[in-house]
Amino acid sequence: MVKLRESQFALFPLKSIRSSISLAFSCLILASIAATTLFSYQLSVEAVQRNSQGYIEEIIKQVNTNIQSYVDYMENISLLAMTNKDVKYYISDSSFISQEERRPYEKRISDLFQAILYTRKDIASIMVFGYNGRYVTDRRITSLNPNTKVEQQAWYKNAQSEGGKSVLSAPHVQNIIQNEYRWVVSLSRELKSTDGITAEGVFLVDLNLSVINDICSHINLGKRGYVFIVDPKGNIVYHPDQQLIYSNLRTERIPDVVHAKSGSTFIANDSDGKRIYSVQDANFGWKIVGVAYTDELLTDKTTIRNTILVYALCGLAVTLILSLLLSHRLTRPIKELQADMRQVEKGNFDIQTQIGQMNEIGQLGRTFNMMVSRIKNLMQEIIQTQEHKRKSELQLLQAQINPHFLYNTLDSIVWMAEQKRHEEVVLMTSALSKLFRASITKDQELIPIRVEIEHITNYLLIQKMRYHEQLDYIIDISDGILSYKTLKILLQPFVENAIYHGIRNGPEVGMVIIRGREDNGRVVFEVEDNGLGMSPEQLARIWAVDEESPIGKGIGIHNVNERIRLHFGHDYGVTIRSEMEAGTNVTITIPKLA
Amino acid sequence: MRTHRFTVVLILVLLVAVIYAVVYSKVLSVASNQGQTVTVVLKSLNVRSDFWQTVSAGAQVAARQAGVKIDLAGPLQETDAGAQIQALEEAIVRKPQAIVVAPINDVRMPGIIRRIRSAGIRLIIIDTPLDIEEPKPLFVGNNHVEAGRLAGKTVAQLTDNRPVAAIIGDSEHSVITSERKKGVEESLIPYLNSMYGTYYCDDSEDRAYQIARFILHGKHPINAFVTLNEAATLGVAKAIKDSGNVKPVRLIGFDSSVYEIQLLEDGVLNATIVQKPFNMGYLGVKLALDLLDGKPAPSDTFIDSTVITRSNMYTPENQKLLFPFIQTN
Repeated sequence: MVKLRESQFALFPLKSIRSSISLAFSCLILASIAATTLFSYQLSVEAVQRNSQGYIEEIIKQVNTNIQSYVDYMENISLLAMTNKDVKYYISDSSFISQEERRPYEKRISDLFQAILYTRKDIASIMVFGYNGRYVTDRRITSLNPNTKVEQQAWYKNAQSEGGKSVLSAPHVQNIIQNEYRWVVSLSRELKSTDGITAEGVFLVDLNLSVINDICSHINLGKRGYVFIVDPKGNIVYHPDQQLIYSNLRTERIPDVVHAKSGSTFIANDSDGKRIYSVQDANFGWKIVGVAYTDELLTDKTTIRNTILVYALCGLAVTLILSLLLSHRLTRPIKELQADMRQVEKGNFDIQTQIGQMNEIGQLGRTFNMMVSRIKNLMQEIIQTQEHKRKSELQLLQAQINPHFLYNTLDSIVWMAEQKRHEEVVLMTSALSKLFRASITKDQELIPIRVEIEHITNYLLIQKMRYHEQLDYIIDISDGILSYKTLKILLQPFVENAIYHGIRNGPEVGMVIIRGREDNGRVVFEVEDNGLGMSPEQLARIWAVDEESPIGKGIGIHNVNERIRLHFGHDYGVTIRSEMEAGTNVTITIPKLA
Repeated sequence: MRTHRFTVVLILVLLVAVIYAVVYSKVLSVASNQGQTVTVVLKSLNVRSDFWQTVSAGAQVAARQAGVKIDLAGPLQETDAGAQIQALEEAIVRKPQAIVVAPINDVRMPGIIRRIRSAGIRLIIIDTPLDIEEPKPLFVGNNHVEAGRLAGKTVAQLTDNRPVAAIIGDSEHSVITSERKKGVEESLIPYLNSMYGTYYCDDSEDRAYQIARFILHGKHPINAFVTLNEAATLGVAKAIKDSGNVKPVRLIGFDSSVYEIQLLEDGVLNATIVQKPFNMGYLGVKLALDLLDGKPAPSDTFIDSTVITRSNMYTPENQKLLFPFIQTN
């Protein structure tokens, strides 16, 4: 589980969930768009390729038809010659034509051939060779090449062996006429006598090769595409790179073509590049092949690619923005919860997060709210108990003063009674009783200053009676503050301290001055003595919290200070100035409370 | 938070860019040789010059196969060095990536070749080797020595390995003639007394005729003539015909023309050694394109020749060599 978490972190190394979600979305979208782009590109390219295959097929069919129509035309001419009576008679063995009669025959036949030739510029020559040694051509005067034997020509022999069917030769140089060397395609046919059995001669039509050349070379199959023709045996009839193939500078896939069916296409992919071969059979045995280079046929390839890429990029941009928005929307409640949590971190426990939908995050928010309010309650509880505890502690301390003091005072009274100083006993006892009355009113913490002063006067009266000449005191309280309120038994601990520490041990008469006045909207009391004073170390010890032995030492200065602050806040409290051998001055500041 | 979002966007943009680049260059690449420019400067652009027309046909086929357009230039006359140099200068101004040139022998030629090179244009020399400083340019041409050897072997064959041959060339100073002669001599050396002598007819049919007559009527019987160019062939053939075939004398020529073809059919010319100019033009341009593609190219490419006799002159392969063009009516 831990390992899994770690790997997840490695996958999305970003700190915020929003970023991670965005990244994940974007990666997914990117991948899917890349895939679809690739697929659609491949599909379009395939479609274009299929289309172009069809296109090439159409072109090759057209070439085939064109060549076919030429061949058909030549065949028609051969039929014309075959059925022509003059021709038949002229080459017939059975007919007897005298030397004088030959000329008109030759002329008529020659005229016929010429007439045909006039109509068609693409025919190079028309000739008839009789087995009786006579021959006629489309020329009035023909001299045959003396070095060539007609009987040895391929077209002648093939026509003889086919016995009446027309034969189409491969392109060759026709050299039977003297001084004439022309590239032609020959259609030859053996002529039969009227009975249809006896062979009487061979008829020849030569078609200018330039016709086929033009048909084939003007086919537009891209810059590099071309058309070629092979015969059934795989010999090249026409190929634009014929010389290169003969010189082995170039190879052509002739075996593949020979085995290919008519109307079929195949794709060759070698060092020459990827190309489509489209094969069509012509009915005289030739195979017409169109070759086109795919990269040229797909001239739109760049356009297709660019269009698809542009669309892909647009789609990508849109979906990326959408993914950012979506992730924003999905993570917004989390963000809000996070912000609220920050508030709690800072100490604001009054916050309650908004709960939207009751999904996982909503539940999280609800739990969070419950937790926060619970914490808040707990904290308040703690504060209350703390306060309560301190108060009771103080009350306890307050209570603890009394027995100690009572013991001392009673001791003094006993001592005075022994000496039979009755008046003084009465005075002291009544002061003590007043003092206690003041202490008994426990229900209220705050009392008027007048009562407090009365209390301290009683207290000092008792102490004066105990110490006689050793103690003297002055109480100087301005009348204006008498009706204000103060904490009860506020001054007594200081006065007590002043007497015990300052005077009791001193050689001279101890003087305690208590002043009270209003200052800057506050009430300030001063308790001053002329005792031994304190060193800074002693002063520090007074301030120290001394909870171990509160009994015997009375209420600590620290506790009084704490009491004031607890009631009136930190602006108020006790300050002490002390000088060795000169005395101590305690200033107590409390608010002006009516 | 800001920086985070920025990082995410940056990563995505980079990712998109990388994928786009990869897709663009690899998967969807469209191969093309567009932009390659080759100028071919021949010795002659004359339509009557079958040889140079065939060379240019070969060059065009090579260009078509590669899907590149080439510029063809050259003077009308094969000897017009000035016009060829001007054509080369114009080519330099056009600044193609490669120039294929069949240089006419001229003192100004090395200078212009240097200028082609300093212009940063790749150079291919065809047909005639040029004597210029290193580095040697790539060369495509006929192996005339080898053609001469072929002629010599044919002589030996036709004379039942007892050749006594006279060589008739056009000029002592012609490079081609001397190379062909060298080849013939090399292949005849193994046979005893096979060399009758070498004569020069200065490209004149009449002179060749005279020389042949003189030899035929001389005391020492010879059984073969090797004629190193067309004029010599025609002159000697005439002399052999006139002599009435008293003794059978073989005639082996070079190159082909209609007259030579007729002599072949006639049987007077027993064999002719023909070059393959189509292949020269084709290979010249192909080599230039290979060079531009950064493919390795051999420094010298020699094109072999073919022996044409009466019996094989109308085979499909040889017809194309003897009659390179299809005339239109």
